Amino acid sequence: MSTPIEGPTPFAPQTSPPVPIRAPSPNWSGYLGEGYTLRSWLTTHDHKRIAVLYMVAITVFFFVGGAAATMMRLELATPAGDLVSAETYNKLFTIHGVVMVWFFLIPSIPSVLGNFLVPLMIGAKDMAFPRLNLASWYIYVLGGLFTAWALIEGGVDTGWTFYTPYSTKFSDTNVVLVILGVFIVGFSSILTGLNIIVTTHKLRAPGLTWFRLPLFIWANYATSIILLLATPVLAMTLTLVALERMFGIGVFDPALGGDPLLFQHLFWFYSHPAVYIMILPAMGVASEIIPCFARRTVFGYRFMCYAILGIASIGFLVWGHHMFVSGQSMYAGIVFSMLSFLVAIPSAIKVFNWTATLYKGSILFTAPMLYALGFVGLFTIGGMTGLFLASLALDVTLTDTYFVIAHFHYIMVGGSVMAYLGAIHFWWPKISGRMYPEMLARIAALTIFFGFNMTFFPQYLLGWLGMPRRYHEYPPEFQLLNVFSSTGAAVLAVGYLLPLFYLGWSLFYGRRAPANPWGATGLEWQTDSPPPKHNFEAEPVVTRGPYEYDPVR
Amino acid sequence: MEKPFTYFLTWLGLLAFLALTCASAYVPLGPWNTAINMAISCAKGLLVALFFMHLKKSGALLRIAALTGLAFLGILFVLSYADYATRDISPAAWAARP
Amino acid sequence: MSTIQFDNPLERRAAASLGMWAFLATEVMFFGPLFMGYVHGRIAQHAAFAEGSHHMHIVLGTLNTAILLTSSFTMALAVHASQQGRSSFRTWLGLTALLGLAFLGIKGSEYWMEAGEVSKASGPVLKFYFLYFAMTGLHAVHLSIGVVLVGWLWRGAKLYGRDYYSPIEVAGLYWHFVDIVWVFLYPMFYLIERYAK
Repeated sequence: MSTPIEGPTPFAPQTSPPVPIRAPSPNWSGYLGEGYTLRSWLTTHDHKRIAVLYMVAITVFFFVGGAAATMMRLELATPAGDLVSAETYNKLFTIHGVVMVWFFLIPSIPSVLGNFLVPLMIGAKDMAFPRLNLASWYIYVLGGLFTAWALIEGGVDTGWTFYTPYSTKFSDTNVVLVILGVFIVGFSSILTGLNIIVTTHKLRAPGLTWFRLPLFIWANYATSIILLLATPVLAMTLTLVALERMFGIGVFDPALGGDPLLFQHLFWFYSHPAVYIMILPAMGVASEIIPCFARRTVFGYRFMCYAILGIASIGFLVWGHHMFVSGQSMYAGIVFSMLSFLVAIPSAIKVFNWTATLYKGSILFTAPMLYALGFVGLFTIGGMTGLFLASLALDVTLTDTYFVIAHFHYIMVGGSVMAYLGAIHFWWPKISGRMYPEMLARIAALTIFFGFNMTFFPQYLLGWLGMPRRYHEYPPEFQLLNVFSSTGAAVLAVGYLLPLFYLGWSLFYGRRAPANPWGATGLEWQTDSPPPKHNFEAEPVVTRGPYEYDPVR
Repeated sequence: MEKPFTYFLTWLGLLAFLALTCASAYVPLGPWNTAINMAISCAKGLLVALFFMHLKKSGALLRIAALTGLAFLGILFVLSYADYATRDISPAAWAARP
Repeated sequence: MSTIQFDNPLERRAAASLGMWAFLATEVMFFGPLFMGYVHGRIAQHAAFAEGSHHMHIVLGTLNTAILLTSSFTMALAVHASQQGRSSFRTWLGLTALLGLAFLGIKGSEYWMEAGEVSKASGPVLKFYFLYFAMTGLHAVHLSIGVVLVGWLWRGAKLYGRDYYSPIEVAGLYWHFVDIVWVFLYPMFYLIERYAK
């Protein structure tokens, strides 16, 4: 089936000098050379090509969501509501949330890197269900089109949470259209999750036992279980909102004996685990990059596995901490608060283990490592402030302030996006067959780190001082911190645009990547860069655990 | 693999349960009617899952997959009802007392 | 069809079964919020739900339950016959699809008769009706998909036999799941305080 392979020979020693390429060269090797037509991409069943399709699609949505955020930060640079109206501002933060959560963060690592790496890391030729895999991408695009349609029609103003009764009775914007988009895109995530679960169970290479799996696989496996069990609840809940809006079926309407809080229970039953859909794969990425550039085996491998499973399961028990001030029973609040504190235990295990992995390591500050270290630090800050919010009494004053905004952006942007970018850089030689420009990449990583902190740290202070979220104007005493935040956002925007350009450049001008440029241990590094259509020349046999880096002397 | 006769017995059992659940609904037992109906439904579901869906002869993996959905649905019900069962509804000052 | 990712047919069949069971777990959660809404209503507005239930056509509902249970029986026989390599599986598949269609026909006629009563209902009784339409409607959608699936297998019956029957097996799992959902819907809507009437 596979065509002869061009480019570097398989299993090339990493010391071989890479051939510099000066002229643009369209003849990519490996799976990239299987066809250059649009048709060959849009009808592919190759998990690697589908991953690239996903990467293109989510990048588009990332910049759509980013544009909305830019508008918001511009508006907030001055206390008066002078740039956009209150209604437009409501639509901006809604579209920012909807696009970033469902069209970027949730598919980011599982659908792009999970798709690309899961078969490679376990020594399989493809995903278990390749056609389902392609279908999931088309479903994603369809969902995206509905959301884009809603945007063109004038947007939505409910916030990404669609709280009833506002979404069902009062909002006069395109709620149903956006719900349709989110409903559809949910099934794309479900199909990807299903594929990853079955692939991990059934297609592991001989000798690759569960406790020899890379932590990236563990993390994506656990994420897929959450995707399968939580996403359908969201789909049905949003369907009920749409039905309620169109026909008034009364499940969330007190006039017919319904309960608006039932919506919040159902919504957060999905949306809290959804946070772990975003952060678990990021943890998996950090667990790959840190051992590689510390040249040490990961500390406490088994506990890392248990911590992943622990986070995934406890994550289902804590949703009520989003509802402390909603009118939910005080006793339920106490239970949810206690359970929320429990999540800190496996999360802390992971942070300690990454830190311990660095100890006595021989650390290389490459761009992926900078992202991974940034991830650990920012995740820790985001996680610790999460404990503030899980405390029942403290949350009463902090709820719906910028403290919450800062907290979850530290997790989602400081955590997930940093890890996503780190992963893109780390596996870029494998994905594209080219090296990215290292110095530029380090500059971008540092720009993003500083821009991020400058944007979101002032928001902790703003929240602590009592500035509420979701307003387009504010009292003048908050201006200084808001100007800091908006300036940081500009730096952050530059940081995000940089990789777009130099990674695009490296596709044509980057020097050819050897099979294993980092000297890493994973199976994916034992095949060519980029890998051939069916990944491996011969089925690999695994005889040892992951991360067996040579000890540093 | 089950024998066709096992399937036949399963089918008879299902129809018998259907008759039982329908008949029991006409006996006034108060809340126990619901309990009996749900118990019979669970029994019918179990029959279908064990024999028609071959769970009785399946490996642990498929059994776990079958139970996981139910377990997490259970979490949704139990923790939501931790709220509903203990919620103290205080009407607003202007609202009529219930 | 590309099956290069599997080492052998057994692995392929195991992957299909696991995939379907994982999908069914998703389906359980998909129905979850509706059940949750029902339970909330049933506890909070018990009398209204009992009143609504008395308007249900219990004879048709019970008949439909029997039809669906029987269709599961014929589906199990179809899977069994295909595993044994007997061509009779095609007959059983056809019968299963016909029973599914019969269920949908009866359900449709019930909807037709109930439509008038809904217009007279109000308040929590109306909510009962809405939940009834939403839940049985979603079930009917699933069953329709099942009928199409089984009909499609029936049409392409030549492809399947002792060596390759996992599509029939997997479709069977789906069919039985839809049956189990109905087993719960039946008492929830048709049997509330039947004795009181």
